[in-house]
Amino acid sequence: MNLLLGALTLGFILSLVGLGVWVSFRIFKVADITVDGSLTFGAAITAALVVVHGVNPLAATLAGMLGGMLAGTVTGLLQTRFRIDPLLSGILVMTALYSVNLRVMGRSNVPFLGKPSLQTWCEELGRSLLGAPTVDLFGWPVAAGDLAVVILAGLAALLVGAVLWWFFRTDLGTAMRASGDNAQMIRALGADVERYRILGLALSNGLVALGGSLLAQYQGFADAQMGIGMVVWGLASVIIGEALTGAPSLGFSIVGTVMGSVFFRELVAIALGFGLNPNDLKLVTAAFVFAALVLPSLLGRGRVQEVRP
Amino acid sequence: MSASAEAAPAGAAADAMVRVRGARKTFNVGTPEEVRPMQGIDLDIPAGQFVIVLGGNGSGKSTLLNGLAGTFRLDEGTIEIDGRDVTRWPEHRRAALVGRVFQNPFSGTAPMMTIAENFSLAAKRGRSRGLGWALSSSFRDELRDRVRGLRMGLEDRIDTAIGALSGGQRQALTLLMATWIEPRLLLLDEHTAALDPKSADQVIALTDEIVSSRRLTTLMVTHAMQQAVNLGDRILMMHRGNVLHDVSGPTKRRLRVDDLLARFEDVRRRELLDEGAAALLARAYV
Repeated sequence: MNLLLGALTLGFILSLVGLGVWVSFRIFKVADITVDGSLTFGAAITAALVVVHGVNPLAATLAGMLGGMLAGTVTGLLQTRFRIDPLLSGILVMTALYSVNLRVMGRSNVPFLGKPSLQTWCEELGRSLLGAPTVDLFGWPVAAGDLAVVILAGLAALLVGAVLWWFFRTDLGTAMRASGDNAQMIRALGADVERYRILGLALSNGLVALGGSLLAQYQGFADAQMGIGMVVWGLASVIIGEALTGAPSLGFSIVGTVMGSVFFRELVAIALGFGLNPNDLKLVTAAFVFAALVLPSLLGRGRVQEVRP
Repeated sequence: MSASAEAAPAGAAADAMVRVRGARKTFNVGTPEEVRPMQGIDLDIPAGQFVIVLGGNGSGKSTLLNGLAGTFRLDEGTIEIDGRDVTRWPEHRRAALVGRVFQNPFSGTAPMMTIAENFSLAAKRGRSRGLGWALSSSFRDELRDRVRGLRMGLEDRIDTAIGALSGGQRQALTLLMATWIEPRLLLLDEHTAALDPKSADQVIALTDEIVSSRRLTTLMVTHAMQQAVNLGDRILMMHRGNVLHDVSGPTKRRLRVDDLLARFEDVRRRELLDEGAAALLARAYV
């Protein structure tokens, strides 16, 4: 049970990464690999500020998110002002961020080691609200702190999802969606497509960095390697979400991404419980995304043949 | 007919909605694909005039429209729209003044988004876009009313993704979008060429209705001679980056398809002569 609860928390936190990837992958139709760097960037900034400089965890988390937005802005500038291929732009910024992250942290791993973080705040809040160190959840003893963390992580995912849903229904957000759907059309209607792309990638990587910052606080350390393969995680969340909901609308697409992230995390927890080697996790994830990308068209072709007499 | 740079047609200059002076453009400079679709074009279009642009492939008619829309910058020359010098304005800025419908029905609408969302974008053409809701219920009501005017039964489908509609329906909607906010200049680039004949007739009828009822200053490129004869106040015939013929007033009204074909034949013969002469010179001297 604790394992599944942990996976749920992780799923909620990483759904922010999923939503960030959803913005770049589904709105702008690019696989933005900046994510691998900006996730660590958010974590590194928060860890360095909290551990080294003793900054308030909430302010440090926001600073991490702003860092991600800055990284996204740079990628956006490379793609638009300098006309560099979107994939290459992401690779350049991700690579540059690796050094930047080491600079920010001063070493490759920064543990929080009992310093106040959002994680410790949540645990304290849970203990004081519930008045006991453990609670009984459907017959399982669960730490009150863990329960508070999972609820607040869920609320964070809900809040971010709601904000995205609102944003992409405003005049600005609608125009941003159009700039990914038909750039020629929205340019003819007076939108500066390049500016929207920069703004969108800043938003995307801001969310990813927020996810990275929360992840570091949850696991208790920031690490220079923690971002590796995260864009594929995000893609997996988006794709599972679409399979789960059918993504008929914007709202379903957003909810689906959160569900996809949680669902995948639970699957991984169960697989690890059954003895999957953690070292194989990224291979399995990549294979899974490959299958999810290819299978629908294969199945679709099969179905067309079946329908014909 | 006015092809001279210094003397613009009297009377037209004062209230010209569009004024082009000495517009030149060369694409692919220094390569074998070098083309010169604009070779010093001068053009005045009075407010409210409906201009038909004719010409063969590569005559520069689409380039003229794209030049006005700001898809590229001129090498030389100036463009004024509604008294403002827009020569250096980028495309998205000129959109505040210019409404456009493209040849490809897929170009003018965002396919994954609903009819209502597409129109919410058109309703903000050239204006700043903030964080207000894109769709209000009053906007949806107004949209239903205006779409009902198309008589295509689309008023009940405004929450359908626009990509699910036919080319003719999309082109009619694009025309409505381009004129939702009254444009100072409407550019129609062969907007019926990719449609089946019945849809094309529908869209042309709609075009005539919108343009003449609201007296919009319009440039329409077409290949269809019959459209050119039936519609508009003035015909520009383009050839090799120049305005070859410029017919308006009573002459335009008397013009028949045969007259236009004769003029095209004339152009073709002159071209053949040029080519024949070039071949002769090549044989003699190379």
